[in-house]
Amino acid sequence: MNIEAFENRVLPTKNKLFRFAFRLLGSQEEAKDVVQEVMLKVWNGREQMATIDNMEAWCMRITKNMSLDRLRSKQRRVTDSMEEGFEIRQESLSPLERTEIQESMQRINELMKALPEKQRQVMHLRDIEGYSYNEICEILELDMSQVKVNLFRARGAVREKLVKMNAYGL
Amino acid sequence: MDSREIEQLVEKYWNCETLLEEEKQLRDFFRGNMPENLKETAELFRYFEQQQNVAIGQSSFDAEVKKKIAASVPKAKSVSLFNMARIAAGVVVLVAAGYFVREEVRKAYPDEPKDTFSDPRMALEETKKALMMISNSFNKAHKEASKIEMFNEAEQQIQGKRIDEKKTNI
Repeated sequence: MNIEAFENRVLPTKNKLFRFAFRLLGSQEEAKDVVQEVMLKVWNGREQMATIDNMEAWCMRITKNMSLDRLRSKQRRVTDSMEEGFEIRQESLSPLERTEIQESMQRINELMKALPEKQRQVMHLRDIEGYSYNEICEILELDMSQVKVNLFRARGAVREKLVKMNAYGL
Repeated sequence: MDSREIEQLVEKYWNCETLLEEEKQLRDFFRGNMPENLKETAELFRYFEQQQNVAIGQSSFDAEVKKKIAASVPKAKSVSLFNMARIAAGVVVLVAAGYFVREEVRKAYPDEPKDTFSDPRMALEETKKALMMISNSFNKAHKEASKIEMFNEAEQQIQGKRIDEKKTNI
């Protein structure tokens, strides 16, 4: 792989990698570091990676592993987690509607954060990034049934909490 | 798509039976519509959509990665100290074994005789002397050995007599 192929095939995945790392780590700074490390790793191992056909899934897999390594390492910097602003793009909304939407986004974000790690990974990859089940298997190194079970549980948990929230008028 | 179809699709979604394409349809639908009875689902899909747009948010990121790539030299295959020690130990054993084997061989096969004379004529004289000595000894021994013939003659005479005796007896 030369620099041109790298720029065309690997660099453009940066935002997906970033979102996934961010979902796992909860810190933008750390997620950014991880994405950089992934890029370097891919570049340094480019000879061995000539045979990989799904470069994006491969990069996602490295991102997952590096993020989990970081989570499990003891020297982890303690950072303020999920410092996230929810930008609402629709111009037509009134300020009140805007804050309402922002709040609901924040709540759903908290729901996702509360999910067990595997469920959160699967739901992120499927519902936000739109990967096929096969790709998710490849990225997470899980078999099909595990992916489906985790997704089912994740959606179930999110639904239950959403319904509860709305029932209490939160 | 009418609301009935959407409701069915939403139900399918919660049961994890939707295809990627159908999930995309739902996302498209909820972008513009927010039916009261599907409020929580709509919020969730809006959240997904919003999350898809999260980006690394640093314009210098690509440049930074490229700089690091240019600077990074692929790591040379590092041989650990332990492995080097193992190889060294192997060499030492071989050398020691070779030395002892050589010693043994030397003991078993003493050095070949070397020339003791530098002058060929003197060497010839010495050789002649040695040969003469051997020849004298041979001659002496031969003289003594010839005496044995007497025994042989005597034996033959005795045997001849016996044969004669036998003949007369018959």
